[in-house]
Amino acid sequence: MSAAHAGEPGPETLVPHWLAGEHRTELATAVRAALTGRAMHPVAAIHLEDVLTELHVAAARDAVWPASAARVRRATGWGADVLPVRLSAAERSSVLAVPGLPDAVRAQLGDGSAE
Amino acid sequence: MTDTRFGGSSAGLMQRLRPTRVSVADLREVADAVLPTLATPRLRLGMVQRTGAGSVLVVEEDERQVRTGLHELADDMTRAGVRPTAAGIAQALTSWVAHRPVTDAAAAAAGIAVLDWADAQHTSVGWRVVVRRGDLALPWTPSTAAGPDELHRTRSAASSRAHDVELDLRVEGPVALWSHRDLAVLATSVLVDAERMLRRITAAGLEMPGMHVVVTPHRPVACAGPGIAARLAGESSEASVTLPRQDLPDLPWL
Repeated sequence: MSAAHAGEPGPETLVPHWLAGEHRTELATAVRAALTGRAMHPVAAIHLEDVLTELHVAAARDAVWPASAARVRRATGWGADVLPVRLSAAERSSVLAVPGLPDAVRAQLGDGSAE
Repeated sequence: MTDTRFGGSSAGLMQRLRPTRVSVADLREVADAVLPTLATPRLRLGMVQRTGAGSVLVVEEDERQVRTGLHELADDMTRAGVRPTAAGIAQALTSWVAHRPVTDAAAAAAGIAVLDWADAQHTSVGWRVVVRRGDLALPWTPSTAAGPDELHRTRSAASSRAHDVELDLRVEGPVALWSHRDLAVLATSVLVDAERMLRRITAAGLEMPGMHVVVTPHRPVACAGPGIAARLAGESSEASVTLPRQDLPDLPWL
């Protein structure tokens, strides 16, 4: 059951960003480096931890329900390793503030679409 | 909805959009040749000619009986895009026989407990006994003759057998995924013993306090903490049910 069914407030809206495997790896590397490399506001750190979680959850979602992403890949011609990574506005902002985020990943997160 | 009873003999989209008719005469000819090869001492297959009406195909096994008009079956095959060749019709007919109802005896002897949708809207799940038949796993609906003791014995045995189903465990960060190599519906068999499942997840290196399971019958099972399970399921457009592992034993039998 979803939280909404239980009468609790709904979760923050998550927006899909379609990232290829290579970009997901680069994103994870940059986020991990940011989390270990310097002092950070604890709230930003939580958002970045959630981004790392989402990278795994995106892969798990595709393993359980592969059809919907596959439909989008077929329609767009994107590669088989392109997955929707769903981020809240706060998570996305935290990622964009990460120093050393590769430009290609930044571009993907900028407008929410693959190349 | 795609008709899956006719198996892999169905043709592609063009054949379904502009189907070539499977004729009753061709179906009858194929049935005459194929049905005797599929029959067993318990499974009786035959055609009955009705006065003033077309032939009826009769499938009988123990307490189960299916009677289908040859015209109706030919129409269903046409709609499903079955290739109207002897080989295509034979393959479709073989698959159709393989999809016959599961008998009480087969469920008692070989049933496996899994989770299935409990309602047409796909909002809740319950335990169901399925039986492997070739490369299919078919649901068992108890016959009206099955008494409460027999139901209990069959379901208990199916739960025991579910322990022996070999599943693949994949750890994806904080999520554990269970799947079956050949038959997707068997993935939920892991849920008959949530404590054992949790021990295997822990042995794979993943700590999971407050484990929740995300269940879409016929798909891999995902296990995660409550927040991550909600993120996983909440952002999918596909139907699923998320519940704490403690609730699994209390789900109803279907």
